[in-house]
Amino acid sequence: MNRRTEQAEAAPVTSIRTRGGSLAPGGVVGDGRYRLLAQLGVDQRSGAHLWRARDGQLRRDVALTLLVGDAADPEAARAARRTLERAAHAAQFNHPSVARVLDVLSLGSGISAGEGLLGIVVSEWSKGTDLIDVIADGPVTPAAACRMLEPLVDAVEQAHNHGLVLGIDHPQRIRVSQDGVLRLAFPGPLPNATLRDDVKALGGLLYLLLTGRWPLPGGPGVMQPAPQGPNGRIVPPRSISPWVPQELSALASHTLADGGEGGIRTSAAFLRVLRQAAEAAEREELIQSGQLPPDANQDPDGAIWTTQRPTNDPSQRKKVALGVTLLVVATVAILAWVGLSLISFFETDEGATGPEVNVAEGAKQPGKKKPASTTNDAVTPAQIQVYNPEGTGDSVDRAPKAIDGDPSTLWKTDVYKQQLPALKSGVGLSASFDKPIDLAKVTVHGATEGTKVEVRVADSPNPFLDDARVVVKETELTGDKVELTLPKPTKAQHVIVWITQLGGTEGEFATSIGELKFYPAAQP
Amino acid sequence: MAAGPSWPTADPDQLRPFEELTTMLPRISAASQTGFIRSVDAGPETGLIAAVDKEPSLARSTGKIAIASLISRITGFLWKIMLVWVVGIGVVNDSFNVANTLPNIVYELLLGGVLASIVVPLLVRAQDDPDGGEAYTQRLLTVALTLLGGATVVAVLAAPLFTSLYVDSSTNQANPELTTAFAYLLLPQILFYGVFALLMAVLNAKQIFGPPAWAPVVNNLVVMATILVFAVVPGEISLDPVRMGDIKLLVLGVGVTLGIVAQAAMLVPPLLRTGFRPKWNWGIDHRMREFGGLAMWIVAYVAVSQVGYVVTTRVLTAGDAGGMTAYYNAWLLFQLPYGVIGVSLLTAIMPRMSRAAADGNTKKLISDLSYASRISTVALLPIAAVMTVVGSSIGVALFSLGKGGAGSGAERLGEALGIGAFGLLPYALVMLQLRVFYAMKDARTPTLIMLVMTAVKVPLLYLCPVLLDSHQIVLGAMLVNSLTFLVGAVLGQVWLWVRLGNLRSKRVLGVILFTLFASAIGALAAVGVGWLIPDSLPPALGAWLKLIVQSIVGFGVTIAMLAVLKVDELKPITTRLNALRNKLLK
Repeated sequence: MNRRTEQAEAAPVTSIRTRGGSLAPGGVVGDGRYRLLAQLGVDQRSGAHLWRARDGQLRRDVALTLLVGDAADPEAARAARRTLERAAHAAQFNHPSVARVLDVLSLGSGISAGEGLLGIVVSEWSKGTDLIDVIADGPVTPAAACRMLEPLVDAVEQAHNHGLVLGIDHPQRIRVSQDGVLRLAFPGPLPNATLRDDVKALGGLLYLLLTGRWPLPGGPGVMQPAPQGPNGRIVPPRSISPWVPQELSALASHTLADGGEGGIRTSAAFLRVLRQAAEAAEREELIQSGQLPPDANQDPDGAIWTTQRPTNDPSQRKKVALGVTLLVVATVAILAWVGLSLISFFETDEGATGPEVNVAEGAKQPGKKKPASTTNDAVTPAQIQVYNPEGTGDSVDRAPKAIDGDPSTLWKTDVYKQQLPALKSGVGLSASFDKPIDLAKVTVHGATEGTKVEVRVADSPNPFLDDARVVVKETELTGDKVELTLPKPTKAQHVIVWITQLGGTEGEFATSIGELKFYPAAQP
Repeated sequence: MAAGPSWPTADPDQLRPFEELTTMLPRISAASQTGFIRSVDAGPETGLIAAVDKEPSLARSTGKIAIASLISRITGFLWKIMLVWVVGIGVVNDSFNVANTLPNIVYELLLGGVLASIVVPLLVRAQDDPDGGEAYTQRLLTVALTLLGGATVVAVLAAPLFTSLYVDSSTNQANPELTTAFAYLLLPQILFYGVFALLMAVLNAKQIFGPPAWAPVVNNLVVMATILVFAVVPGEISLDPVRMGDIKLLVLGVGVTLGIVAQAAMLVPPLLRTGFRPKWNWGIDHRMREFGGLAMWIVAYVAVSQVGYVVTTRVLTAGDAGGMTAYYNAWLLFQLPYGVIGVSLLTAIMPRMSRAAADGNTKKLISDLSYASRISTVALLPIAAVMTVVGSSIGVALFSLGKGGAGSGAERLGEALGIGAFGLLPYALVMLQLRVFYAMKDARTPTLIMLVMTAVKVPLLYLCPVLLDSHQIVLGAMLVNSLTFLVGAVLGQVWLWVRLGNLRSKRVLGVILFTLFASAIGALAAVGVGWLIPDSLPPALGAWLKLIVQSIVGFGVTIAMLAVLKVDELKPITTRLNALRNKLLK
């Protein structure tokens, strides 16, 4: 901060004639609209005083570039007009690293003659720190310098594409924004500034960041100028700060040098080299984090420089992406298994064989009948096979599914184009027990709606149909669970559930059965 | 998206994100030939204001094309419902569906991808030729039609082979003979699909968009008439043995093929009106070779997606009869909200994204992608939630008329829809992401993503018959399908991140979570209202009542919740929907 007060004191000493002495904190300019808050510097080449001020009308802070000069001097007036024109052009330019020009005031339009001013460039206020204050604590690391500078280089590049000169060739016009990058805070290029001056200024700023010295003429008095070598040229940054990488040092020197081989004259070229150097510097910094200039490590504002995201290059991302891919595939496989199990769980209970209304009826039936016949626990047959006395087929292999204790696994007939008994008189399942049981009841679970069955008993697993005695007459199966109760318990070793009418619809007749259970009569 | 050969594909797994290329490549060529870009609905935000200002008629015609494609989607769905009413959800419909997708598959493999990636862009470029592209067009038609004609003959001869590939008859649930019989009648569509696509491309290159957009509607009308005739003519389709002479079989097969013929024929008069004279002109244009690599990846994409489809049909045909029909129609229903709402929301953004990708403007591309993802979320998640609740009602309401009412097929179809509904948003996101890849000229990553999706899908599909009863397989297949899109959406996002860096996924995720919460509340409200409707009503009436009441309550509550949560993305959707409504009323 002491630097700023020094600067403020130094200003009146300069040869520029200021009239009225209105340029002091608390004073107002621009027809009373802007109240001056603090002077941040002066660009003596054009008599531009750089102030932070308060816009009384919009109640916001602005950055003012006050062009001080004698209105009677036609040369000064012409130069000021030219600067204002250029600033007005820049108003159309938008870049995060350049403060937007809000207004341009000239003598007679916004400035009264008594103010001693030739013009004012009003731009938005850039929060952050003065570049000079940052440098005052010592030079920054090469990698940090690159990071700070890069957005500004991009701004220059884009401005040059639009044919605009930014006028960044004075360190006090630049501020360090809150995210730690350089920003042109006080636009208003010199009347004779060229594109080349902008590029040179980039080299100058790089030099300044690396060494803490300003290599271009016309810098602020408070700043040490860069030493010149015996040949009259500026010494490369490396000879002041030995830790600066060769690439960066050369970049700064080549940009500053006028003419000669290997000079860098365009911002695009500067950006290209800077990016390469930045990459190298960053790598270097990671490897040798102990060998950096001691000043940089003690930088109290060091926190600013760490806002850069960790390096995140595509090859690393690719590895992460591969990992995520595997993870997602595994997760979805598990989800699918859970989902399928849920479907299986919910759907079998509700019985997908018909409308829900019937399920309810089916559920009521056993409740009514239960007291009528007392039965023991079900007896599982030793064997079950498809009983098909007049044909073949009908999922012979799947017959055991009907007695496996799981109603969700089905035995199913073939699909018949025509209803029984067109092709054959029927088809059935024949269950055989180890020894004869006293059969009282058969329950059929999960049978296809519309199916009609009989229960028959026989002496062999595969008798002639006529030899198998009907013990339960033809009954239509509706609902998820149907009980077929024998009028009186019958001793039997082989029980046949004989389908006389298939479920399904026209053209696609078929019956499936989820489970058969055979209950013996209760022992008295 | 209204541009490019985007006829309603009969194949449910046929996603054509690579159509992006047909809207993309012409941009690089002469600026004067930007027909394909402008053909995409140029809303006020597209930045194509200059083009719109110059040619207001074009802007108006794109609106009409949007309506035409909307109508063709709806009529296309209508005839599928009619078919269920008339034929039922059973083995006949299954066989027809499988057979009717075959020509599409063959066509896609042979020409679809190549057409989108090479032929159309070159066609547009050829308009700058001294002869206005006439020779190029003649050569193109000659070569393509010869190829397609030959392929059609081979395919018809190989119909039994196709059937044995797509139908698993080991469980006696399918009827391969009937599928083959239908295939003989339907496979000639290959040639006419090709003719339609080529003529459409030629007309689009000449800035004629109307007839190609309306032609699919004609196809749908012809098919509807066919179904009416089918219902009236006497007789049955005999299943055992299948007889080619059955009048009903012939009516359905020939009628549906005639629909595609009519669709292609519709485009001949407008083409002749442009002054184009068809002429036999054999030869390959040297310019076609430039794009070989791109085409290879796209053909690979189609082929990989076909593997998934083959497995799906095999698992479904091996399961219960009618499963294929239920799955197919559930899938079409599933796609409908994306097709109607999603696409109309994205028409303004897609060309902007394409241009940003072509210019290498990553920042803009990412912000547009993020925005498109967010509005898709807000538009589609509530629909998915309500669909989950009302799924079975939709099935019963739409499909239980006529023969569709027999058995529980219609309800199962609806349940499949409800179970799969959660995949709606992932599906839309995958389509969006793949289009971004194609816009960046990356045809490889989409194919690889498709490969992973298929690798997940196939084993899971084979798991269905193991874990599920045969009548539940369709539910499992729909679940697996949606999960696959979930995989795809995550992969798409992750690999886009590899390409582009930070995608602002957090913001998208935030909107998804907010919308999910709002939708869940809406869905709960819908479930609650559902209890108030008595079960004693006749099933169809009850289903309609439930569908209407639950949808109104579900959407109402969801939108109210979104408004309460102050989700910004709600606004563009309501305004767009109003605009769409006005457009339709006009």
